[in-house]
Amino acid sequence: MEVPRRPQPSSFTLPLPKPASSALSPLGAADKKEPIKEKLQEGMEKDQFGEETFDTKDESVVSVFVEAPADTSELEDTISRLSSQDSFSDASSISEERLAEEAEEAKKKSEEEEAAAKERAAQRQLMAIEELVQSERNYLRLLQMSTVTIRSSLQKLQPPPANLDSMFLYIDDVIDVSSRLISLLDQKRVKPGDPLFLQTLCDSFLSLSSDIETAYREYLANYNNITVVENSYKQKEALWNEIVRIIKTSAPEVNATSLSFFLVMPVQRIARYPLLLQTIQKHTDKTHPEYSLLEQTAHTSIALNCRINEYKRFREVADKYKKTENLTIKDKINRLNTHSIAKKTARISQYIKHETGMATKLVDEEFDALEGFFYVLEHGILQLLDNVEIYLHHLQGFLACKTEEFDLDMDGEKEPICYKEITTALRQWILPTFEKRMRTLIHKPLCALRDLLVGPRNLIRKRLDKLLDYELICEKSNLNYDEQAVANTYRTINTLLLNELPQFNGLALQMIWSMLGTFSCLHKDLSSDMEQLFQSFAQQLPHSSLEPHAFWSWAESAVLEGARRLETLCRSVEDTFTGPVVQPLSPSSQRRLKQLTDKHGSGKIYQVMGTVVGSRDLDLNLAKGELVAVISEADSRGDKRRWLVDAGGRRGYAPASKLLRYHQPTEEPPPSPHLTLPDGVTGIRRHSYTPEGRPLTVVSQPCFQVIAAYDFTARGNHEVSVRAGEPVRVLEAHDKRGNPEWSLVEARGGQRGYVPSNYLTIMPMRTGPTGTF
Amino acid sequence: RLEDQTKKLHKDMKKSTEADLAMSKAAVKISADLLGNPLCEQDQAFLESMTALDTAMKRMDAFNQEKVNQIQKTVIDPLKKYSGVFPSLNMAVKRREQALQDYKRLQSKVEKYEEKEKTGPVMVKLHQAREELRPVREDFEAKNKQLLDEMPKFYQSRIDYFQPSFEALIRAQVVYFTEMYNIFSELTDQIDQAGLTDEQREKETEAKLSELRALSIVADD
Repeated sequence: MEVPRRPQPSSFTLPLPKPASSALSPLGAADKKEPIKEKLQEGMEKDQFGEETFDTKDESVVSVFVEAPADTSELEDTISRLSSQDSFSDASSISEERLAEEAEEAKKKSEEEEAAAKERAAQRQLMAIEELVQSERNYLRLLQMSTVTIRSSLQKLQPPPANLDSMFLYIDDVIDVSSRLISLLDQKRVKPGDPLFLQTLCDSFLSLSSDIETAYREYLANYNNITVVENSYKQKEALWNEIVRIIKTSAPEVNATSLSFFLVMPVQRIARYPLLLQTIQKHTDKTHPEYSLLEQTAHTSIALNCRINEYKRFREVADKYKKTENLTIKDKINRLNTHSIAKKTARISQYIKHETGMATKLVDEEFDALEGFFYVLEHGILQLLDNVEIYLHHLQGFLACKTEEFDLDMDGEKEPICYKEITTALRQWILPTFEKRMRTLIHKPLCALRDLLVGPRNLIRKRLDKLLDYELICEKSNLNYDEQAVANTYRTINTLLLNELPQFNGLALQMIWSMLGTFSCLHKDLSSDMEQLFQSFAQQLPHSSLEPHAFWSWAESAVLEGARRLETLCRSVEDTFTGPVVQPLSPSSQRRLKQLTDKHGSGKIYQVMGTVVGSRDLDLNLAKGELVAVISEADSRGDKRRWLVDAGGRRGYAPASKLLRYHQPTEEPPPSPHLTLPDGVTGIRRHSYTPEGRPLTVVSQPCFQVIAAYDFTARGNHEVSVRAGEPVRVLEAHDKRGNPEWSLVEARGGQRGYVPSNYLTIMPMRTGPTGTF
Repeated sequence: RLEDQTKKLHKDMKKSTEADLAMSKAAVKISADLLGNPLCEQDQAFLESMTALDTAMKRMDAFNQEKVNQIQKTVIDPLKKYSGVFPSLNMAVKRREQALQDYKRLQSKVEKYEEKEKTGPVMVKLHQAREELRPVREDFEAKNKQLLDEMPKFYQSRIDYFQPSFEALIRAQVVYFTEMYNIFSELTDQIDQAGLTDEQREKETEAKLSELRALSIVADD
């Protein structure tokens, strides 16, 4: 540490200005006091490095001090001389008288001396008091000057020194407390000579003691940082020179050469309070009315100092261990040396001894309880944080579904509008506000709390380590310095944790509690908002007046009905469209049909749906629409996809996928008698793919009508003339001799005759009545 | 276009209901975990609060589930069915296209024949072609007509079809949120200080956090 510490109080003798001779009147003494005091103050505020000069002054003052006792001892000498003279003188009346005279004189002298001593004491007290006050004022002045002037000029430096603010961190509090003390003293408007002054002084000090403690405590704990920063400044020579120059210009009357001169003053000041107060106490009569108060004040100041030091120690230890160190492996290896390895091995062995029961463990139940609570708390906090994050994640997912952005082109309708508005409102302000509130009021504090858990956790762990060390050495009776240090560290950590963990635990628990309360409150608000929103819209809906039960049954029935309607629609569409187009049969196809039917039976007639190109031996080439008869539904090798078909003379294989069953009109018996079908030519076409057992409502029923495709003029009386497009009725599809080339038809006029069969064609007509199967 | 929109709506609704359910479950998990935490054993008052919170959460979840079921029945399923109509309609349209093609083809054939000289075989062919054309044309016209009939009707029907869905959606949410409000009012009265604004809450938490930070055992970065 660079800053030279103030010499310990024990080695410090307060230079009290003493009157040179005891017989001086108070006034005269006062005169003498001033220059000495000034000299003293000067000396006190000298630079640290001028301590030697200070000490010399000290000595000179001490010499003054020493003189005074010399005076009194002189006095005593005379008295003793007198008494000795007394003993030596003979009992002569003259001598008796003289003795009595001398005794009286002596008594008077002693009384005078007593009075003088009292006065001296009073003066000393007065001076001590004044010194306290005066020094306080000076101190305050310097502090303020350093803060304001020096700091601002330092800030103006280009570039400003790093961490400047951290140096002046707590000084404001100290200044504040000090000025308050002085203002309290000034308020009472009492002079230092007034006996009331002492009381005022004590009272104000006591009243401010806790504030003083707080302010100085922080400052002292931070003081290490200040020195470190100053050192870093000193590394940079140019910067340092600048700083020194600024200091010298700002405060020329004090011979300061570093920032720490000013910044160390609070450190010194707080240690001085006890001394000053004790000095006052020493020079105050025990019979003085304020003596007890003074004593109390002195004690308070001492206690203050003790507490501040303890706090400082705690802070040092805590700072050392509470941060998690992120060391790379390299650093860790560098850190290993024999000492640390020895330490760690000792710890591990002790730990194992604990676990195996070989050594007894120093159990501190209170601590263990605290520790347990802490871990439970930690676990709870982490879990809560996770859950809250999951919750927020899902909330975001919910927000991402924009269900109001659809356009079913129903904008004229109430309900969709309501819904859209609701969801827009929901998305745009209700839910985002909810999310924001949740984040700020719950998520963020939880995160902060979680971060705060790190410190105590580290300290607890460290304590365990130190505990292991401590146990190893506490059996020893004679501890050397290192071991004492270790023991002290352990005890410090332990005390620190015992003091502060309960607070931590309690506060954290409270925080969790309040956060849960907030959580439920947020939900309440959210639900009330939503309810209002929905309710307001629901009023507009037509069915809002229905009872809930009635409403739901209505809704469900409406939905079912809608579904049914859809279904019927679907089905009707399917029916119409999935039938293949009905093609009329050309006469050649008709003939083929007849031929195949005669040969194989009508059940085996299939129509070719697409052009078939044969690729293998015995495969047929078939055109679309051709009629074939299936002979076997598998080929010689058993392949079910190739069927052996007869195509009117040709035989071969055709792929089954292209064959569709062809139902001949003639073969199906007319299902109901009211069908006015010309003989045999009408039929009902059934869809080739079986519907799934649904009752078919065939929308339209194609009927077939034979029509003459071309004009034909009868050339004999067996034939009949027909015109193209004329519907005829076929009576026989062959002539008398069975020649299929001619058909016996009845024409419109009722004439019957033969017409060439290939002049006839079958047309589907959609005018027939419907029928079901 | 109607089709796309319905599909999208269907998907969105499904997703949103899923997210809703997940949220609810997460909230329940929060309270359940806390209840399981040994913290509750230490402090009776805390335990009571946690139990209350947990019950409230579970009830909310139950209601949410109910709400989602309702919505499922009345909104999502109908939406799906509605979407299901589209494939058949599309196929119908395709068939119509096919029929149209056939018709056009045959029509051109007929016209071709008509342009040729009117000889016998040509006449025959022409006649035959005409014959072929006729059914095809009629078929096409029938399909066309039907589509023209059905599709607008379908389009119109969406209004009536969806009306109940939307109403149900809104109504379900009303019910749900009313219940939720009741539950949470009770809960808040029980475990929370009433009447705090957000800033007050924030200030309180900040105060507690700074108290914690002031402890020397806490690392403050």
